[in-house]
Amino acid sequence: MNEDKRINVVLAGHGNTGKTSVFNYLTGLHQHTGNWAGKTIEKLEGTLYYKDYTIDVLDLPGIYSLTTLSVEELIAREYIIKQKPDVVINIVDSTNLERNLIFTLQLLELGCRVIVALNMIDIARKKGITIDIGKLQKILNTPVIPTIASRGTGLTDLMDQVIGLKEGKNDRGNLTYGKEIENCIRQLLIKLKDIELPYPDRWIAIKLLEKDNEILKTIRQINPEIVENTRCLEEKLEEIHGHDSSLVIADERSHLAAKITRETVTMAPHIKMTLNDWLDIITTHRFSGYLVMILIVGAMFFSVFSFGNWLSSALDNVFRGWHEWWNNNLGITIIAALGWSAIEGVLALVQIALPYIFPFYIFLYFLEEWGYMARISFLMDNLMHKMGIHGKGCISFIIGLGCNVPGCLSCRIMESRRERFITAVLVTLVPCSAVSVIVFGLVGKYVGLLWALGLYIFAIILIFIAGRISSRILPGEPVELIMPMPDYKTPNLKSILYQTWNALKEFIYIAAPIIIISGIVIQAINLAGWMPAISSFMSPVTVNWLGLPAITGILLIFGILRKELILVMLAAYLGTTEFAEVLTSQQMITLAVVSMFYVPCVATISVLWKEFGWKKALAVCIIEIVFAILLAGIVNRFLNLVF
Amino acid sequence: MEVNKSIISLTEFEDGQSGTIVSLNGGRNLTKRLADLGIRPGTMIIVLRQSLFSGPVQVEVSGSKLVLGRGLATKILVELK
Repeated sequence: MNEDKRINVVLAGHGNTGKTSVFNYLTGLHQHTGNWAGKTIEKLEGTLYYKDYTIDVLDLPGIYSLTTLSVEELIAREYIIKQKPDVVINIVDSTNLERNLIFTLQLLELGCRVIVALNMIDIARKKGITIDIGKLQKILNTPVIPTIASRGTGLTDLMDQVIGLKEGKNDRGNLTYGKEIENCIRQLLIKLKDIELPYPDRWIAIKLLEKDNEILKTIRQINPEIVENTRCLEEKLEEIHGHDSSLVIADERSHLAAKITRETVTMAPHIKMTLNDWLDIITTHRFSGYLVMILIVGAMFFSVFSFGNWLSSALDNVFRGWHEWWNNNLGITIIAALGWSAIEGVLALVQIALPYIFPFYIFLYFLEEWGYMARISFLMDNLMHKMGIHGKGCISFIIGLGCNVPGCLSCRIMESRRERFITAVLVTLVPCSAVSVIVFGLVGKYVGLLWALGLYIFAIILIFIAGRISSRILPGEPVELIMPMPDYKTPNLKSILYQTWNALKEFIYIAAPIIIISGIVIQAINLAGWMPAISSFMSPVTVNWLGLPAITGILLIFGILRKELILVMLAAYLGTTEFAEVLTSQQMITLAVVSMFYVPCVATISVLWKEFGWKKALAVCIIEIVFAILLAGIVNRFLNLVF
Repeated sequence: MEVNKSIISLTEFEDGQSGTIVSLNGGRNLTKRLADLGIRPGTMIIVLRQSLFSGPVQVEVSGSKLVLGRGLATKILVELK
């Protein structure tokens, strides 16, 4: 391919600026997801063909700044500096220009070719915000294009500019900061002249003054004298401004952003309340907010589960036919049985993904696009904080109620590694749809609905306690919630579908291999006739401590594959679905408690492994097994008093 | 520093009250993080909503809405207008 006709573009910007919509619109289905090398942060890449050019687009994680406070920020910065993309498109939320400009200024400091996309310009206009684009372009000395990503408006202009910039020269001057700072930068530039680094000199100078750890380390290795010089300059700056020099620079940027905004933005006075303003008030109000949240989340689960149960049982009938066909045509042999368990793994995946996870993701991304998720984080922050994590963690819990796998994956929205881990561990204790099948199919149906609901309340209390304990024992400080509150906006169907598709693909990639392989292994153990030995080996725990029939030992092993197998296998072994004939109420409750907490299913374990390493994944499994057995035994003894 | 009655932390504001940020009593990382979002001494800040059971605070800074965790909000001292 002609390299002149190939352009590398990255999209950079805050979260909630419509960055993903731009990416989806540009690349459509020509996109692929992966992870950043050695990191568990998603990397989205795609390609588009425009006017003879092949344009590779990379969607950087949504970030607030280019200082190295979080992994995402470091990744974004290193990518821009080291890979030197041809063009950086900075997606800016037009309704929040000032805040977004601070990031734009940091991008410009990097000395790369930047195009500013003023996205959601329609919403800004509706809110009475007028932006003088010509003037903004002149001040920033870089192209500024108004866009409405949800409708694709302005994106061809954007691409024309990309091509124009690639062809043209990068002769942009720098924006200047205050006099004293420029003075310091000038002095450092002289010292930095002989240093060979992949970074622009001016940027290094700024970062030194900002006390950026990474850059300080690099420069100290090359020439410690420069670090000393910086120290002197910093002291002078601190004397003048009265606070830390790193803040002097940050302050300077926000001053400049405020100044640019004043010069380019005119705002019509806010006259009347819009529908969105009312919605915002109702959904974040201290009373009605919680009511609306319960209604929305409740309605979501009710509709997903009703639809899911219907589709799942319809699929069940189809697949049962296939199983019969398989047995009739291949006969009952070991190979055929093992082959079927592989197929069964795939079918089970379809039976989880299609009826439950797919509609669930549609709902979630709808709420996300609409802007409601941030409201949930706001409402739940207080309660979440008591568990050592902040409000965003609640979203992972809600997802976990559907399925723990995407629930654990969504922990990536948490800022620190510590919080990601705590959230993921707590999500594994959230009763997923498969566990709900057991709770309602066993306890709800035969013991009473109140008992089933009681088990849910029990789970909530346990998660709360587990959160309190883990946030105490794990080292590190809790991160405070700092979250932009997006305005409500009309969700874009295309964007919802793309995101659902990507999430579904990830779920299948992670879950499929592990479910299929472990399905075959367990089936092999079964065929080898070792199951009775295993169940009698486990009987001290299952029979003596938990008071359950010995058969449950086998069930619990199958349950590791998928929790609802506990119920399915129980029916298969007993030859009846009238569980009341073989289990007492007490046994049903005990079995439900064990099933809820004893171990995450294999697919969830593999997510824990992938995200946190095998040691932590193994530790979580062992702790949860021991804990669940102890707990269920105690519950069993307590129930002796009740029944 | 002179004790001024009208300088209070963000958590003591009532819905709809506004003021000018006087100081941020957090560490360097926190202050930087806030500066990247346009929150620094001298900025006008409006408290849109306090939440139930002393939870996070919803604020508006230079036209953008933000949610700040409770612990963070107590560290932001504001001169009430």
